[in-house]
Amino acid sequence: MIDRYERLEPVRLRWRNLVSSPAAYRSRVAEREAKVHALIEFRAPDPGCIPRPEAGPLSGLPFAVKNNIAVGGWNLTCGSRMLAELAAPYSATAVGRLTGAGAVVTGTANLDEFGMGSSTANSFAGPTRNPWDLSRTPGGSSGGSAAAVASGEVPFALGTDTGGSVRQPAAFCGIYGLKPTYGAVSRFGLVAYASSLECIGVLAESPELAEAVFAGMRGRDPLDHTSVSWTPAPDRPVRTVAVLRDTAALSDEVRAVYKRSVASLGALGYDTVPVELPALEYAAAAYYTIATAEASANLARFDGIRYGLRPYYAESPEQLVTEARTKGFGPEVKQRIMLGTFVLREGFREQFYQRAQRIRAAIGRELERVFETADVLLSPVYPVTAFRLDDPAMDGFTQKTADIYTVMANLAGLPALSFPAGLSDGLPVGLQVTAPAFAEASLFRFAQRFRDVFPPPVCPLRDSEPVRDRGGRA
Amino acid sequence: MSRYETHIGLEIHIHLSTRTKMFCGCDAKFGDEPNTNVCPVCMGWPGTLPMLSGAAVELGYRTAHALGCTLSRRTVFVRKQYFYPDMPKNYQISQFHDPVGRDGLLGVPMPDGGVKTVRIRECHLEEDAGKMIHAGEITLLDYNRAGYPLLEIVTEPDLRSGAEAEEFLRYFRRLVRHLGVSDGNMEEGSLRCDANVSVAPEGAGLGTKVEIKNLNSSRFVRLALEHERERQTALLSEGGAVLQETRLWNENRDRTEPMRTKESSRDYRYFPEPDLPPFVPSGRFLSMIGGSVPELPAALAERFVREYGLSPDLAGAVTDDRAEAEFFERTVKRAAALSGGTVPPDGALPDGTGREVALWMTGELRKVLGRAGVTLTESRMTSERLAQIVALLREGRINGRIAKRLVSEAVTRDAEPLEVVAREGLELLSTEEALLPYVQRVLASEREVTAAVRSGDTAKAEYLVGRVMAETGGRADPPLVRMLIDRLAAGVPAAKERR
Repeated sequence: MIDRYERLEPVRLRWRNLVSSPAAYRSRVAEREAKVHALIEFRAPDPGCIPRPEAGPLSGLPFAVKNNIAVGGWNLTCGSRMLAELAAPYSATAVGRLTGAGAVVTGTANLDEFGMGSSTANSFAGPTRNPWDLSRTPGGSSGGSAAAVASGEVPFALGTDTGGSVRQPAAFCGIYGLKPTYGAVSRFGLVAYASSLECIGVLAESPELAEAVFAGMRGRDPLDHTSVSWTPAPDRPVRTVAVLRDTAALSDEVRAVYKRSVASLGALGYDTVPVELPALEYAAAAYYTIATAEASANLARFDGIRYGLRPYYAESPEQLVTEARTKGFGPEVKQRIMLGTFVLREGFREQFYQRAQRIRAAIGRELERVFETADVLLSPVYPVTAFRLDDPAMDGFTQKTADIYTVMANLAGLPALSFPAGLSDGLPVGLQVTAPAFAEASLFRFAQRFRDVFPPPVCPLRDSEPVRDRGGRA
Repeated sequence: MSRYETHIGLEIHIHLSTRTKMFCGCDAKFGDEPNTNVCPVCMGWPGTLPMLSGAAVELGYRTAHALGCTLSRRTVFVRKQYFYPDMPKNYQISQFHDPVGRDGLLGVPMPDGGVKTVRIRECHLEEDAGKMIHAGEITLLDYNRAGYPLLEIVTEPDLRSGAEAEEFLRYFRRLVRHLGVSDGNMEEGSLRCDANVSVAPEGAGLGTKVEIKNLNSSRFVRLALEHERERQTALLSEGGAVLQETRLWNENRDRTEPMRTKESSRDYRYFPEPDLPPFVPSGRFLSMIGGSVPELPAALAERFVREYGLSPDLAGAVTDDRAEAEFFERTVKRAAALSGGTVPPDGALPDGTGREVALWMTGELRKVLGRAGVTLTESRMTSERLAQIVALLREGRINGRIAKRLVSEAVTRDAEPLEVVAREGLELLSTEEALLPYVQRVLASEREVTAAVRSGDTAKAEYLVGRVMAETGGRADPPLVRMLIDRLAAGVPAAKERR
């Protein structure tokens, strides 16, 4: 354990230096923000508020928080006009634990509205851009968190992963993205979209940092009855890697990187076993059925009565609510609410919602079988690399069907980590490893080994110096 | 002319007497300023999650058990979804397929002495909504009540008349107060009741069900159901059909009226609450619940009638509240012990002590407590003190007037009755020995009157009795005084002086 955190010392020092001058830090972030627009709000910390170096690995590190996770004293817009003016009166448990360990919140990150999307273009605050190619999406829905880390504004950021929303942007931006075991991190303070599927996750520069942040956040929370005490799976080294046989859905670029990575597993010292997951065919449909059903209930509270967007005048409560929701929600959110309302209707519930839950159970069983013969499962994250912001081929429907590789971890409640596996045409390609419940350690071990042999390229934007303007201000 | 049968089922909601709300730590108490007992959880703020109150679960299981229900080994919460301004999340956390208890039975004592058995379909937990108040053109919302823990009890349509429904409600209220799970007060809103009523020809099963709402007292329940029975019977006997609908009781017009809104045709889109795992009671929890049900009010009252010779009315009055019933029994036993009587092994004391205690508890003591604004358990009256008073009465050492004073002083001045009596010499003078000096003194000071009495003047005798009463501060026993006066006046020596 000490070994791993020692690797973080240089990182900590570097960041403490960067942050020690608020003006320099502000300028650094401003220069990147002008390009990527990753953050909704940024505040350079007062040097007096940065904790002294303690034993903890996170002490003094700045981080960004996806804006659907509550940070006391900051806005909680969730990327939505509905909550554009909302200030969080409390902090999420996960955030409180990290600040308690000495890390400092310096920004709230842009996101697809309420976490619904794969591009971060569905935000009332406008899109975030991929630091590798500003004409492209950083992925979503935690695109702001990914872009902030990849561009060097912060060393790590919190995101949320309901169907891949941490792992896919991490893959698009060439960084590491962890989705923990469901229940390992408290959801208190995470604005709910799909309660039984989502987790607070970490996007970070390195697997060591992701591991340290996860260790700082996890554990049972009395405020969240679905959170569990952290009891890690027995610590076994990773020996066997299961690999998905079927790659037909992948683009040529992604398939090439995937096959190359699979081929290198032997050289890395792993045995491989090819597997098939027939239930994957239904995974996206099952996921969207369950997620939208839960979302339709979770977003019902936004009616403008107690907080949020409220029309100045209405003839009746019904009119007030209708107007608030019509004006407050974007089209993607409205579509998902309507879908979710539909699949729970009397007469349709058996055909849609309950069937989706059965498929979910089947996926869980298939993954269990995989882990009888392997320690981790290697799979793609997304069929394509970061697509253009205005790409007509990647419409809402296509984006959803592309979620098949990521949703299975959410449906089964298992941990998964996406890691950079190479570049294709100058764009990062990420892959992911999935492990049994509470076996996050296996994910980090694998990612570290892979990184030690195949160090990933760093985004050019990250280490660029801030441009000094003519006035001499830094 | 065919005869018609009425089938009535009740849906009752009670506020559980927990300190906090169902899913957060806010206080659950009435009467505070609007929107002061609220927090992000019960206001439905984004990012909040429900935290299940163990106390509410316990009270729910206890009630279900007292109603004879089969208790769930795995009770599940669901989201019941509908939009309404008093609903902070626009869904209510409730239960559906796996409630806390089901298939119970309640035996309700009826005024005619019989017992009406009513089947309980199920009991389930849920949270209450806030309050909407219409004030002219604006609507006001108070969320203090949002998130209160409720238990909903649904009966089968076993009740046959408005009067039976009223009795059921009355007894049900006694039961929940007796169990200590709820105040069960319809006027304060801690007990709410909707009714389902259908009328059909005798033997033809259930008719078309009509739901009746806006029943704010058990009396209105009876009136509304009687009215509804008449309305449906009239419709059917004219060959018409009863419409399945929801009707509201209009207490000003003494009739039910159709509800104008479409609330009754909602699809609640139930699904299991993902934020709350199912509650699986442990063996220890179940045996705690199983062992905790005290004698139900009817059984207790019946026992008091048998063992203490109370009238049914008096027994009922003393068993409304379990704490008071226990106070009663303790007082009776103590009073018997103080009077030197032995307490029979089975505890029964049919010698009138029980009746005395009950009369004082339901009469003077209740008045004094009411004036002082405290309940029995809050007050300074203890079973020891009341026992002292009753023992003194039964031994003839004090009279009713003094007893009333002692009751009052125990409550208002924290006074121990025996001490007061000793200190102020309040004991009755009820023996010849005690009275003799006073009588002799008075006669000695009224020689002419005494002479008149010797000659048979009874009016003057009464005058002398009055003088003795005054001398003794009212502690003398008038008949005994009179007898002594007559004897002494006649020259008959006092008993002591006789050989």
